[in-house]
Amino acid sequence: MLYLQVLINGLVLGGLYACIAVGFSLVWGVLNVINILHGSFVILGSYVAYFAYVHLGIHPFYSIILAGAVLFALGYALQLGLINRVVGAPVLTTLVLTFGLDLLLNNAMLVAFSADYRSIQLANPLGRMDLGEVTLPLDRVASMLFALGLTGLLYLLLGRSRIGRAIVAVRMDREAAALMGVRVRRVYAITFGVGAMMAGAAGSLLALIFPISPLNSSEFLGIAFVVCVMGGLGSITGAMIGGLALGVIESFAALFIGPEHGLTIAFTLLILLLMFKPTGIMGRRGYE
Amino acid sequence: MNKKAVVSVAVVVAIIAALPVLGDNYLMRLGTMFGMYATLALSWNIIGGYAGYPSFATAAFFGLGAYTGALLQGAGVPMPLAWVAACASAALFAALLGLAILHLKGHYFAIASLIVGEVLVEVATSWRSLTGGGMGLNLPVLRMGVEAQSRLFFWSMYTLGVLALLMNWLVARSRLGFGLNCIRQNEDASAMVGINTKRYKVMAFTCSAVLVGGAGAMYASWVYYIEPPDVFDVLTSVKPIVMALLGGAGTVLGPAIGAGVFLVMEEVVWRNFLDVHSAILGILIVALIFLLPNGLLGLAIRRRKAAIVARLPTLAKRRKA
Amino acid sequence: MLKNPVKNATAILGAMLMSTLLGVASSAFAEDVIRVGAPLPLTGPLSPEGEKQKRGYDLWAKTVNAEGGISVGGKSYQVEIEYVDYESNTPRAVQTAERLISENDVDFLFSPFGSGATKAASGVSERYGIPTIAATASSTAVYNQGYRYLFGTFTPNATLTDPLARLVKNSDEEIETVAIYARNDLFPLAIAEEMEKSAKKHGFEVVSFSEYAIGTMDHASALTVMRREEPDWVFATGYINDLILVRKQMSDLGLSPKVLTMIAGPAYQEFIDATGDLSNNVSSAAWWHPAVDYDGEGTFGTTDAYLEAFKEEYGARPDYAEASASAAGVILQLAIQQAGTLDPKAVRDALANMDTTTFYGPIRFGDTGQIVSLEPPVFQIQDREAKVIYPDSVKQTDLQFGGIE
Repeated sequence: MLYLQVLINGLVLGGLYACIAVGFSLVWGVLNVINILHGSFVILGSYVAYFAYVHLGIHPFYSIILAGAVLFALGYALQLGLINRVVGAPVLTTLVLTFGLDLLLNNAMLVAFSADYRSIQLANPLGRMDLGEVTLPLDRVASMLFALGLTGLLYLLLGRSRIGRAIVAVRMDREAAALMGVRVRRVYAITFGVGAMMAGAAGSLLALIFPISPLNSSEFLGIAFVVCVMGGLGSITGAMIGGLALGVIESFAALFIGPEHGLTIAFTLLILLLMFKPTGIMGRRGYE
Repeated sequence: MNKKAVVSVAVVVAIIAALPVLGDNYLMRLGTMFGMYATLALSWNIIGGYAGYPSFATAAFFGLGAYTGALLQGAGVPMPLAWVAACASAALFAALLGLAILHLKGHYFAIASLIVGEVLVEVATSWRSLTGGGMGLNLPVLRMGVEAQSRLFFWSMYTLGVLALLMNWLVARSRLGFGLNCIRQNEDASAMVGINTKRYKVMAFTCSAVLVGGAGAMYASWVYYIEPPDVFDVLTSVKPIVMALLGGAGTVLGPAIGAGVFLVMEEVVWRNFLDVHSAILGILIVALIFLLPNGLLGLAIRRRKAAIVARLPTLAKRRKA
Repeated sequence: MLKNPVKNATAILGAMLMSTLLGVASSAFAEDVIRVGAPLPLTGPLSPEGEKQKRGYDLWAKTVNAEGGISVGGKSYQVEIEYVDYESNTPRAVQTAERLISENDVDFLFSPFGSGATKAASGVSERYGIPTIAATASSTAVYNQGYRYLFGTFTPNATLTDPLARLVKNSDEEIETVAIYARNDLFPLAIAEEMEKSAKKHGFEVVSFSEYAIGTMDHASALTVMRREEPDWVFATGYINDLILVRKQMSDLGLSPKVLTMIAGPAYQEFIDATGDLSNNVSSAAWWHPAVDYDGEGTFGTTDAYLEAFKEEYGARPDYAEASASAAGVILQLAIQQAGTLDPKAVRDALANMDTTTFYGPIRFGDTGQIVSLEPPVFQIQDREAKVIYPDSVKQTDLQFGGIE
């Protein structure tokens, strides 16, 4: 029963991890940009949900739309205005650029919202459900289901819609896509916007779970990194599997070896994975 | 680099070395920081600039050096010896790590090198019996005056920076530098023309670690107290990259110039903007990416090229005459 | 006069640039000013704490200046605090302390946040012989370095855990087992170890002592294991973000001990705001609590007057960190007045021999420079409000057991 509980804890956590990472993975896969801003995007999404709940009484599950829209606009504008100009530059240039932008955004949030930790107090929390010796924290489970649902939606969007197919085409072969009449720069901007939108949506869900503060951004960014590499780059299913794997590994490592070692074990496994199977669990080729 | 340039660099190096004459402790502290930054940026340049491998392992080497130095000094080993040992431990670690992760390319390498630092910080935090864990580690206090101490650390750190510059110069002129250049441009082709890419890359990675380990140990002796999140700070990996890009990655002098400019920028911004300095620093970084894509040195080189191009007609005329 | 707007604009811009570049230096020319350096973590992970300290110092400086400043030998001095952000980075704090002393020529220093940075920076002020007051350092290791210029307003960690253990032991409830869960970080770990000692001393059985890493985002596994141990008392340490998460996840997993103690966090209003009803019945201890009532010397005078002034300025009740920062100012002020000079050595002696009362409580420093005259209050959150349960002189209510859902 203990193992089942820990497994459930890990899966719930992992679903949220997947949602944090999926936008990051998309941007990385399609644009070949490591978006250091991603952690701050998630936080900004959390703040949108927080203020929407406090001032307008909108449940964070509905704020997903609001936070997603705000972040999409921000991401789209950033890509069109700035990042597109250096998108063909070496890895380090885009990395340093988003690093600089992150310093700016994070500092701006710190000044605007202060570093104080906030948290949403639901008027009607779902509480928990006891199944024998196993406990299900329902709000967490609901957030996780929403997270997986969103990830699934993105998967459908990429496979079924026109813009989704354009994104996939650009990811596979930029030149060929351009020849086929795809407006690559616009697709880039939309992709970055969608990446930011997913971050905002994730932030909205996480607002129910983690204390909100600009200071958390590096933790979220770190999770996105690890999940992407673990699952394999640029693929939605990869991010999903990677997230769930990380959540479960972390939980069991904390159980067997001690809570202070959960992250260490996850990181060590990741390095081993990188050394021996750099394309991640899903084994897809990375888009470099 | 021609003779004139070498002489002028030597003169500048000597002038900066005379900083203690001014007798300002704070200026010396900045000078020491400069030595440290220059060491980090120049070391990164070997693997990141010449070989084109985006390494984020600087913090790992730095922290490893800091802990090696601190633990040895705590065990009674004399300070200079502890520093040398820190260099050795960082170099050894880099060589082994290099064998394991240098087959990765691009982002994968970047991430693997970044995560190594994260693992080390966790190890340092949880191995309490050895490192003191989250409580940090205190180093023995030196029995000497304030002035003497700041001079000692300035010169030591500065010497390390000069060594890093020399290392860059030697590498750039050697077969190793040539090989790394080839690897950056086309690794597969380099392997085909008979360059032992693996050996070269591991050598470069080791070079990029050895002095950083020393800098970590000196830093530990300098501030007397270290703790894991501080010496393994991710920014220790990121800042040298920004400095190198700022000055011109893959050039001998660029990273050193970048370190100086970055230090001044950081200091001015930090002094004048109480709680928005990181935003200002961010804006400066973004501006640099757009205005100076090849770094300051790149700008200078382009100017010179432009000047030569502009003078071409005159030169041609002269030739005719 | 404005004949050439472009030229004017350039001149203004130039002047602005110069003034920012020289901003720090220019204030040094003002006469009749006492300058106190304050390195604070205004950005980075410790920034909430840094902001609190700043509020405390600001209120003191503003109030004392409005009263006409500090009179030294018949002359009035205004107070000016030089803030520098050290980015939550300990060595940067040391660097900052040195800069404030050697470059900005501050007369006195308020130390950086927490025991670690205070310990690291105290070496600098000691070398330069600058009296330094630490508003947020509690570890005895900070003070037993043999330094003469460092004074602190927090009592040792054991003074927090010991009364708690005694209080729980002397109650009628059957509390036998304690599970300790600590963040692997300087202060949280130190206080957890202190708690282990206090618990054993009072005959409790410590069923587990586990640690979690800095930056941990999930406590579910640790709490699941703890649930199986069925401890009567859970003692969790960390900073406010950790403790908010731990509290929420305890509720998620249905871990409900009879007593839940958390340090440090519940003393801050933000903790109550962030956890809502879950904050009820959480007990904690802090070095100070607004329920105390003192009538003393220096700016503010009484605790009531301080609460009033704080409320007017910030619209809230001060917590221990904010009060301690203000108290550091008042203590410095009293020492300067006592010494009748700005000479660092004389002020240092005045601090060492101080025996007075302020709004914060009685002030007397031990041989090491750490305060010995205070008894930190133990409190419990009831009806979303922190209420004192010990010591008896300021007690507002009794410790309640259970009710941790």
